[in-house]
Amino acid sequence: MSDGKDILNRSTDPAVLQMIAKAEKMGVTTVWDRYDAMTPQCGFGETGLCCRHCLQGPCRINPFGDEPKTGICGASADVMVARGLDRAIAAGTAAHSGHAKHLAHTMLKMAEGKLREYMVKDVEKLKAVAARLNIPVKGRKENEIAFDVAKAALADFHEKDTPVLWATTVVTPGRVKVLTDLGLVPKGIDHEISEIMHRTLYGVDADAVNLLLAGLRCSVADLAGCYMGTDLADILFGTPKPIVTEANLGVIKADAVNIAVHGHNPVLSDVMVFVAKEMEKEAKAAGALGINLVGICCAGNEVMMRHGIPACTHSISQEMAIMTGALDAMVVDYQCIMPSLVTVAECMGTTIVTTMDMCKISGATHMDFSEEAASEKAKEIIRIAIKNFSKRAKRPVDIPNIKTPVVSGFSVEAIVAALSKLDAKDPLKPLIDNIKAGNIRGVCLFAGCNSVKVPQDRNFTVMARKLLKKNVLIVATGCGAGSLMRHGFMNPANVDELCGDGLKAVLTAIGKANNLGGPLPPVLHMGSCVDNSRAVALCVAVANYLGVDTDKLPVVASAAEAVSEKAVSIGAYAVAAGLPTHVGVMLPVLGSPLVTRVLTEKVKDLTGGYFIVDLDPDSSADKLLNAIDARRAGLGLG
Amino acid sequence: MSKPKEIFVRLDRCVGCHTCNIACAVEHSKSKNLFEAISEQPTPKNRVYVEWVPPEHKVPVLCRHCEDAPCMHACISGAISRTKEGVVITNSDKCIGCWTCVMVCPYGVIGRHMETRKAYRCDRCPDLQAPACVDACPTQALVYRTADAFSGDVRQDAAREMISGEGR
Amino acid sequence: MVVKQMQYVIIGASAAGMAAAEAIRKLDSENSITVLSKEQDMPYFRPMIPFMITGKKKFSEMMLIGQGPYQGANINVRLNSTMEAVHTTDQTVSIKSGEELSYDKLLIATGSRPHIPPIAGIEAEGVFALRTLSDARAMALRAERTKHAVMLGGGLLNLKTAFALLERGLEVTLIIQSPEVLSQLMEPNDATLIRNALIRAGLRVMTGCSASRILSDANGVNGVFLDDGREVVCQMVCIGKGGRPNVDFLSQSGIRVDQGVVVDRFTACNALNVFAAGDVAVTFNSTTGERIVTGLWTNAVEMGHCAGRNMASQPTEYNGTLGILNATQVADVPFVSMGIVHTSGTDYETHVAAAPKAYRKLVFTPDGAKLVGALFVGDISRAGLYRYLIRESRTVKGIKSSIIKKQLHYGHILKETI
Repeated sequence: MSDGKDILNRSTDPAVLQMIAKAEKMGVTTVWDRYDAMTPQCGFGETGLCCRHCLQGPCRINPFGDEPKTGICGASADVMVARGLDRAIAAGTAAHSGHAKHLAHTMLKMAEGKLREYMVKDVEKLKAVAARLNIPVKGRKENEIAFDVAKAALADFHEKDTPVLWATTVVTPGRVKVLTDLGLVPKGIDHEISEIMHRTLYGVDADAVNLLLAGLRCSVADLAGCYMGTDLADILFGTPKPIVTEANLGVIKADAVNIAVHGHNPVLSDVMVFVAKEMEKEAKAAGALGINLVGICCAGNEVMMRHGIPACTHSISQEMAIMTGALDAMVVDYQCIMPSLVTVAECMGTTIVTTMDMCKISGATHMDFSEEAASEKAKEIIRIAIKNFSKRAKRPVDIPNIKTPVVSGFSVEAIVAALSKLDAKDPLKPLIDNIKAGNIRGVCLFAGCNSVKVPQDRNFTVMARKLLKKNVLIVATGCGAGSLMRHGFMNPANVDELCGDGLKAVLTAIGKANNLGGPLPPVLHMGSCVDNSRAVALCVAVANYLGVDTDKLPVVASAAEAVSEKAVSIGAYAVAAGLPTHVGVMLPVLGSPLVTRVLTEKVKDLTGGYFIVDLDPDSSADKLLNAIDARRAGLGLG
Repeated sequence: MSKPKEIFVRLDRCVGCHTCNIACAVEHSKSKNLFEAISEQPTPKNRVYVEWVPPEHKVPVLCRHCEDAPCMHACISGAISRTKEGVVITNSDKCIGCWTCVMVCPYGVIGRHMETRKAYRCDRCPDLQAPACVDACPTQALVYRTADAFSGDVRQDAAREMISGEGR
Repeated sequence: MVVKQMQYVIIGASAAGMAAAEAIRKLDSENSITVLSKEQDMPYFRPMIPFMITGKKKFSEMMLIGQGPYQGANINVRLNSTMEAVHTTDQTVSIKSGEELSYDKLLIATGSRPHIPPIAGIEAEGVFALRTLSDARAMALRAERTKHAVMLGGGLLNLKTAFALLERGLEVTLIIQSPEVLSQLMEPNDATLIRNALIRAGLRVMTGCSASRILSDANGVNGVFLDDGREVVCQMVCIGKGGRPNVDFLSQSGIRVDQGVVVDRFTACNALNVFAAGDVAVTFNSTTGERIVTGLWTNAVEMGHCAGRNMASQPTEYNGTLGILNATQVADVPFVSMGIVHTSGTDYETHVAAAPKAYRKLVFTPDGAKLVGALFVGDISRAGLYRYLIRESRTVKGIKSSIIKKQLHYGHILKETI
């Protein structure tokens, strides 16, 4: 498989490297091999100058200014790039909000009494969300409120009298005005997605700036989808609280029935957690120590945050979990599921179980999941795993003896609760005071995926190391969180080594006040990728406390190893919210100097946020620090 | 003496993706990096052209470095010469932008850089082991071999390639 | 037995002469090659002499030997050697210095000299006809005390010279008898883009008039009287009225001259072992077969190359040339003119497309079967393909519409050939 390329450049995670070496030896093709086979990649696509939006195409514009200078329809490079970017944002929005819509349907059916396995787990959150939406709470039954919240959620998808409530009620009043003035308030989540598809159709919008503004509006709809996803999941499955667990391939146990949950939505994975406990006996009867549920990607983040289920790996190394030979089943729902899993699984005796009608993979076992029969389906799936366990009993497995402790579960509610131990009446005050005093220089959100184009985790870890030393408080979501957790950044024991003195003092003080017997971890795990909403919520709380808008805060974001179009839409809404937003891989926009300039400079005049595209983690960190310092200066902080 | 390698085209393999164009322009840039090359001045230029002969033929065309190169003989400023490796090169310091070479090239593969008013063409990437276009071609439609090796491998395609323009 | 070395003698050290010398040397590494030049400078690229006026290039950058195909290996170039006569019976040439050289093979490549029309006062100081490097040097010197230069004639050489003077900061006026510039290379309607470019660049163009008298005083030329009665004040006059073959020294030689030196298809003259090539020779139009003399560098090289091979006993047929075969760029407008492009009053099938920045004219035989001429102004990319078709006189059939639309590429020709 190897053409001599150094496999050590593929990942910085030693557990993953062991499995890559195994795959090389066994001749199993992995994502890195496929990437090698794909290179060099087409420069037109890389620069965003390839368009397939109509049947006259594909069209490609020469990035060096020679013919062809426009598409067949006459679209300029600027238009082509802006249209492509818009479609990526729409796709990302569709995914996040699709996830949220799924939760809303579950919640509605639950409120109607149609589901046995689901209930309101966090009444406080339900009430808080309802209150925010102006849904009456007093004297009403949980299910009545939940019914109204679910209806309100579903209503936010289409055009109606009000704008998208999950957008306008979740940002600062100042931001609502900025977005309104710019025409960036979404009318309906699905409406914005659909309108992007319309305006990027053959012969519709051919004004790059107009296209970009529409993209930004759609990204605000994406924020709504994410925020809704978090709200509804918290209501149905509980709002995360700090919890101790561990991460990396070493969490897989040779003697247990190992089942990985992979994908995104807790509607499935949360049920798996409970059913797995019920099925322990069956597993033991088959000779196993028990059932060992492990997480991959954001399904993993969801169950880790709420139940302490360990994460085995993330994103680009998902195939490597199977390479251990010890995974008996991998249950997937949707998003970021590489179709290649089936091929690797075939080599290693793992069963891939797809569960969603919209996400089937040839060669996988499909078991259609329904909320009505959630437990039964979960049992069926677990039985497949137990059967596979029996079959692999005598086969050797290779589980890297590598795992690291993780403290997870930092929802905004959990952070506020922890802070309230320092100041019960005014819990945000200690945080703000420390920001003012410079003990916390600023906040950085790490989000997004791992890209095959970057040695896995390198950008995240290099940047986080630098920022922590400079006393930047780091919160992380998605596979960015996964990356940092596997490298010990969520292990409180590493605060001394990783953090600057100011930050160390803050994390230690909070830990002490909460009787944790140590500091908070260097990086706070905020959840899955929809949970970037939590970072927004934190920003909004701080901004409101200070009486400023979010574009004034010393807060930055980074999708340092982005892959999915979801990362594009998240990045766009971070910019819409006013954040300097780093992307550590090349966005396909350089073919248009105009779009590039708008995204990296001009948009600053509109929303206050802007993109920083830099592939070098060291200089990226410097740029984020500069952005933080500029914001501090703007607030009159030293 | 073994004959130097040349760039040959396997017509049946070209899918018209133009990857060679990009790789060529990048190799002839200062930065040798696509994302920086795009904004370089003067604009880096590609020297391989992918032509289409409907309905199904996609034809990469580049300087054949003709044995009796008409461009070299026609040049009125002595800018075109042949290296000892057999590569016909244009020395842009000497080029005066009269375009006589463009007028006489029977393959139509000499480009004109309008910003610098210099002619340019394939130089077979002297700094590389194999020319950038050959290396980049995802379908191996471009190959870098000696004429003997190539015609031995794919006699028929070689025959097509050997079709003489007046230059050969 | 000692074999006597054979003597190749070449008269003229420009394109044809030097190309011949190289061709001979490639085939014959033994025998002696002597190139006689009447100029004081080592061989140079003649088309570059306008750069001597601008000062943009030094002489060393114009030298021919050592550049491109001209390696000059063991080629003996003798300067300041003006020809007196050729004696074909005893196979010798005599040089003005009195010296005689014998030859086994002789090439006449003496080129042409500028045609000087009989205008009163034309002998005045400051009147030039640019041909040699010495001429250019003299012009450069005169330019130092010239405010306004008048160019008589609107041909390519005069345009290039005009731009060189313009670049030096002179005011320049073109006085052209024809209704438009470049009348040898295109028809008046074809030249609009070029004319506009000249004006944009700052040249003054006066068409439909000519000089009837050149005025001068002690400082040399100071004005030109036009045939329409106008007077133009100037300090320099440059004549660009075409050339005449340098054949005077052949008058007693018995070598057949009809305008230029007459040669057969193998570049041989009527005298044994004597060949001719380049501007001095009568060649023929490869499309029409018509006998022509031409001043094309490309033709001189090609014909010289041919002659060299024939002299070295490698019989090589010369295929003639297109009467017109010119490429250049004036200001920011490039153009290429090839083959038959003057079509008014003819039966040629002509396709013209005029866009704001590009003009093209494609000329086919009256039956439409073959391409015989092409003119591109503004966009000249891939012009060589069209020249190839004109030159090969190929039936264009399936690719005709691509030709007319100027979308021709090598793939078309390849496909036609397979």
